[in-house]
Amino acid sequence: MSTAQPHVPDVSIEDRLYTVKYRDAGESHLGVENPDVCADCTTNECTSVCPAAVWTVDPDGDGVPSIAYENCLECGTCRYGCPYDNVEWTYPKTGGGVVFKQG
Amino acid sequence: MSHETTTAGGLQRPALQTETPNYDDAFDAVVVGAGLAGTAAALTMARDGLDVLMLERGPAPGTKNVFGGVLYTPTIRELVDIDGAPLERYIAEKRFSILSSDGDETAMSMRPGAWRDDPHNDSYTVLRRRFDEWFAKQAVEAGVTLVTETTVTGLLRDGGAIVGVTTDRPDGEIHAPVVVLAEGANSLVTEGADLKERPEREEVAVSVKEVFKLDRDTIDDRFRLDGDAGAAYQYFGEGAVGEAVGGGFVYTNKRSVSVGVVYRVEDAAAGQTPEATLDAFESHPAVAPLIRGGRRIEYSAHVVPEGGARAMPDLVHDGAVVVGDAAGLVLNSGVHLEGTNMAVESGYHAGKAIAAALADGRSDAEALAAYARDLDQSFVVENLRHYDWFQRTIAADRQFLFEDLPRALASAETEYFKMDRTSKDEHTGAARDHLVAAAGGWFGAAKRAWRFRRMLS
Repeated sequence: MSTAQPHVPDVSIEDRLYTVKYRDAGESHLGVENPDVCADCTTNECTSVCPAAVWTVDPDGDGVPSIAYENCLECGTCRYGCPYDNVEWTYPKTGGGVVFKQG
Repeated sequence: MSHETTTAGGLQRPALQTETPNYDDAFDAVVVGAGLAGTAAALTMARDGLDVLMLERGPAPGTKNVFGGVLYTPTIRELVDIDGAPLERYIAEKRFSILSSDGDETAMSMRPGAWRDDPHNDSYTVLRRRFDEWFAKQAVEAGVTLVTETTVTGLLRDGGAIVGVTTDRPDGEIHAPVVVLAEGANSLVTEGADLKERPEREEVAVSVKEVFKLDRDTIDDRFRLDGDAGAAYQYFGEGAVGEAVGGGFVYTNKRSVSVGVVYRVEDAAAGQTPEATLDAFESHPAVAPLIRGGRRIEYSAHVVPEGGARAMPDLVHDGAVVVGDAAGLVLNSGVHLEGTNMAVESGYHAGKAIAAALADGRSDAEALAAYARDLDQSFVVENLRHYDWFQRTIAADRQFLFEDLPRALASAETEYFKMDRTSKDEHTGAARDHLVAAAGGWFGAAKRAWRFRRMLS
């Protein structure tokens, strides 16, 4: 069909995350088990599965992702996305983390 | 990382939150998680006279919970008076739609008159933050002690038996005869205690969802609704989830619309990101007009266990039971997308079994086995078994179902209704040719019809 036009304006991940309420736990509840595994990883599934841009890998860096844990929606997708089971995933402590208002 | 600093957060809590010293050995059961399964279990046990402690890691029940949008209430209705519940709309219409990536849509809609009558087939859209908080409040009113902002970090054992939980609170060990693991799809405690293996990646889906604010009249007009009537739209095909296996959804709330996609983590790992998938779905010409002008009020995401009956862990252990999403109790048959009803059903059966076991002074797996037996004989496991074939079958036939079929349907429709000076007979033949070709000839079509016959059985 030739009239297929996107009706929804472009929206950035920042716009989306701006709608989400968080309580900063003050420390990351996410990590990598073994940085050497990340250094050898070329596929970086963590970056493509995460809906909240938590995981980014600097192409000029050491291959170990930087983790914006404060964006985390606690969905758990990265736990499964990493084929090396190298994601360290815990719950944020004492009420910290995402606070959904709708859910 | 965060393990060695468990008291840091605790010291910053208000005094009220740290003054919880006497919980150790004070309860018959500890429930981990105040979602639907946990609350149903807690409520059932409290009604049977047990002292129940329910721990929730969020600041309030529901703050960590995400689902698509439809709550099925046959069991909840037995437990509480849902007249006062924060329900959004009852489902007056179900609509199943196939989208191609070229902008085509072929849909089937159903609005049985019976759904308009109370109790509306026990199907309502809800927002989990509001509903879960209300449901947990019913449990508290029945005598359950609810403590929020408390994360369970592990299980206490005596020999092989589970005898309580550890929490992130100072002096946070709580001994109790039975622990109900209702921690949801990311079952860290259950897995950490070796009560369950982490599901395989192929058996887990990711869902991303947005809630759009729209005024009530706009929703009523756009979806042809009146009063408390609501709509549940499900979408399939490449126009819904791109090259992935999954689907999209649009559900109407009172003054907002929930829109989202669910597809295999496997497909996201292969490079199709959740955000781009959601963007494409929301931009599809069949979907975009439904949310046009809506203000985004929340973005959310969650994994969904879709391993079915085969992926269910052992439900009963010495001193513990596993319920709800933690037990993998989610049904996706393509047509039926259910989880909330199964969570509540499992919590109810677990609560009943625990009360009966403790009445005999027991909490071992054998005494708690009635839970696994009752759930096995309920619709929950029955349905999971019945549709166990589904996920694998659609994954194996993705190209046909998600790409070829949506396009062939659109081509056939275009041909069948074409206005020119050719006879209807010729158009019908051409339309049929599109469908038969997409299905792999008459033989292929027959084979596929046989393969998917159980979808409607």
